[in-house]
Amino acid sequence: MTSPIAKPVAPASPVDHSLLYPSPYKEFWQAFARNKGAVMGLAFMCLVVFCALFAPWVAPHDPSEQYRDFLLTPPVWLEGGTWQFILGTDELGRDLLSRLIQGARLSLLIGLSSVVMSLIPGILLGLLAGFFPQILGPSIMRLMDVMLALPSLLLAVAIVAILGPGLINTVIAIAIVSLPSYVRLTRAAVMGELNRDYVTAARLAGAGLPRLMFVTVLPNCMAPLIVQATLSFSSAILDAAALGFLGLGVQPPTPEWGTMLASARDYIERAWWVVSLPGITILLSVLAINLMGDGLRDALDPKLKNAA
Amino acid sequence: MAVVLSARALTRHYQVSRGLFKGHALVQALNGVSFELEAGKTLAVVGESGCGKSTLARALTLIEEPSSGSLQIAGTEVTGASKAERKQLRRDVQMVFQSPYASLNPRQKIGDQLAEPLLINTSLSKAERREKVQKMMEQVGLRPEHYQRYPHMFSGGQRQRIALARAMMLQPKVLVADEPTSALDVSIQAQVLNLFMDLQKEFNTAYVFISHNLAVVRHVADQVLVMYLGRPAEMGPKADIYEKPLHPYTQALLSATPAIHPDPLKPKIRIVGELPNPLNPPDGCAFHKRCPYATERCAKEVPALRQVSTRQVACHYAEQFL
Amino acid sequence: MSLLQINNLNVRFGDANAVPVVDGLDLVVDAGEILAIVGESGSGKSVTMMALMGLIDAPGRITADALNFDGTDMLKLSGRQRRKVVGKDIAMVFQDPMTALNPSYTVGFQIEEVLRQHLGLKGKAARQRALELLKKVEIPAAESRLDAYPHQLSGGMSQRVAIAMAIAGEPKLLIADEPTTALDVTIQAQIMELLVNLQKERNMALILITHDLAVVAETARRVCVMYAGQAVEVGQVPELFDVPAHPYSEALLAAIPEHSIGAERLATLPGIVPGRYDRPVGCLLSPRCPYVQDNCRNQRPSLDPKAHSLVRCFYPLNQEVA
Repeated sequence: MTSPIAKPVAPASPVDHSLLYPSPYKEFWQAFARNKGAVMGLAFMCLVVFCALFAPWVAPHDPSEQYRDFLLTPPVWLEGGTWQFILGTDELGRDLLSRLIQGARLSLLIGLSSVVMSLIPGILLGLLAGFFPQILGPSIMRLMDVMLALPSLLLAVAIVAILGPGLINTVIAIAIVSLPSYVRLTRAAVMGELNRDYVTAARLAGAGLPRLMFVTVLPNCMAPLIVQATLSFSSAILDAAALGFLGLGVQPPTPEWGTMLASARDYIERAWWVVSLPGITILLSVLAINLMGDGLRDALDPKLKNAA
Repeated sequence: MAVVLSARALTRHYQVSRGLFKGHALVQALNGVSFELEAGKTLAVVGESGCGKSTLARALTLIEEPSSGSLQIAGTEVTGASKAERKQLRRDVQMVFQSPYASLNPRQKIGDQLAEPLLINTSLSKAERREKVQKMMEQVGLRPEHYQRYPHMFSGGQRQRIALARAMMLQPKVLVADEPTSALDVSIQAQVLNLFMDLQKEFNTAYVFISHNLAVVRHVADQVLVMYLGRPAEMGPKADIYEKPLHPYTQALLSATPAIHPDPLKPKIRIVGELPNPLNPPDGCAFHKRCPYATERCAKEVPALRQVSTRQVACHYAEQFL
Repeated sequence: MSLLQINNLNVRFGDANAVPVVDGLDLVVDAGEILAIVGESGSGKSVTMMALMGLIDAPGRITADALNFDGTDMLKLSGRQRRKVVGKDIAMVFQDPMTALNPSYTVGFQIEEVLRQHLGLKGKAARQRALELLKKVEIPAAESRLDAYPHQLSGGMSQRVAIAMAIAGEPKLLIADEPTTALDVTIQAQIMELLVNLQKERNMALILITHDLAVVAETARRVCVMYAGQAVEVGQVPELFDVPAHPYSEALLAAIPEHSIGAERLATLPGIVPGRYDRPVGCLLSPRCPYVQDNCRNQRPSLDPKAHSLVRCFYPLNQEVA
């Protein structure tokens, strides 16, 4: 027979694993930084944000000032270019670089406000659909299905046609169009979490519905939502550009990247830079945001978080 | 000793749809369970999958209403309780779950999770709550620094301690533990079980301990309830049941449990077949198809739970094993 | 010559400085014997077998002095050569039968796939053989089960199918990784009996990986106890449980509820298995060992033959007992 464990000879106290873990923010940053593309995307977006915030001081010229003597000047590296207008000027003699920098403000504004305007109602509707799967849930989802059945751009065009062109209506249209994806995502995440023991435990502790929804379940659904929000950001910029291109969004002379594309349509052959540079800026921004979104998703994926 | 939990003919049925053209089937997940539990004692519920122990756990913790039968917690009847009574009942019964990885909110600090029951159910100030939480953390073997940490930073055993601490924050009269150590290693299991027993002594809580591990049950239980397909098969004091089980299913369970020092003299009872489909239970005794002692009577008549010697058995021929 | 010979196996995830998950493991298995590998989570028992089967992907790195199976050097095999051996001569049965089977294909198809791959059987011959295998593993109504999908089977049935797939290639070595942990007690007894019968009948070597010491006591002849990636004791079955030589073996046995019948508390070791951040310089058990001496903290003991078994300890226990 075995002898019972003798009184210990003061073994060295074992190290507490939980204290060796870095804080959650540090852990997140370490995971995020491993993805080089994501970090580059983040760096580019920081540049864009910087330009947007400090546009009046960063831009070399006033975006709406027209230099009659310098219509359609090429960028500095082409023949005929000058350092005064590094990226050239457009058909009205306005400095392209300054307009692009100023345009960053609008694009970021459109992206941010449309995301916020669709995220909040989207989360609410998704939570309700998930928590009340008997009648309320299916009704909400059918409504979202109807919205999804319409091509998003056409829907946006229709909304803007009803409300009239302009910045605010552009934002509203984009927000409405991106609503269904948030609702679906939230509902799917909520339904997945509702079966977990910790939700039952919260119910047993006496948590009421609001607490269950916002304190217990919602924080665990945020990962896919954050990723979707970053991706919506980029598609909001694209949608605004498309609406602007069609003449329905932001109206000239406001410098918005898509509108700049639209008004320069006729100059594609003569002065390619007036069209291409705004287009490249849109491309780079969308690419940067998508790379960031990928990095966020990888870093936030709870399946990759293991215990010791 | 005061009776804190009393169940009488507790029954829970589910309607299961079988498709568009067939009618609904009735699953009798729980069928007539009765017991009384005193403060500071442990009732172990033993059985295999499909026996109804999870349904029982959900009924006892008020997550689901029983289809029929009565359930009284600390004297208050559950069905038909008023809103105020329900609030009090909520505080009186708590639960610890099987999986240490799923029972804690991954996005909440454990200190906040421990304080949550107090926040919802009491009117203590923030400082008072914090103090109570720290005290409980110390009792379960956690350090004060752990307040700020998230669940994924802890091992399985530590998480079960946290789960136990959370369940005990309101000092409930009844704690339902659903396989709390099944997912833990042997040595961690020993630590956690010791903690369970310590806390029971401290708070005089009644435990309903659900487990399929008969060795663990032998250590913790005062009374044992063996269930099969929603019905009680045998119920009685632990020592009697382990020494001389009267129901053939109990005998089979004990025989099938491997032992460290196997007794070569004790014959192994071979049980063939599997659990019957709960949608289509056999007539008569639910166990008769697998029972080595089954007779014609067993195939026709459902045995009633009756008193035999020191316990209750649901078998027509229980006396032959005395 | 032994069937399986492992010398100094090391498995690391990451670069050469990463903490080894398996640390200098030596293991020998003869044809037709039953060896149990026992350990808790973090002991490296499953990873050892995965390394043998070649199932460890980058960033895992395997190094060993020797990894010989039936005369073949497993380390030198190409992917294609390894696929000829694994699944045929070495087969594995996993813990969770529900996830071990492909849910999109019928049971018959999956067994026939093994037969096609390793024995070259096709069409009717394959189906006939699959039916025989299902009957061998005692699945009732085997004919109809051939066309069943995994989700239509219970846990016990699925595990039998998994065993049928494993023995389809007539393996010389069968590795069972916690084959019954996810199953009910009575089904567990059936499956273990089945495995032992199959082993005897075909003179297969059986490596049983488990954390359940009682299952080992009833089934195996030899047992290897692992802790934190190292083998700490290797011995014969009744002897190791009666007179354990390594303090960890003793602690594991003492923590089982069976050993504390009637006692208030279970005997436990403080602390937990060392993880990534805190691997001791000396003996891996030294932070928790009740018999630790000063030199234990600085030097690592090697696995040496002592009175009854191979022990990795400077001060093994129970050496005087004959």
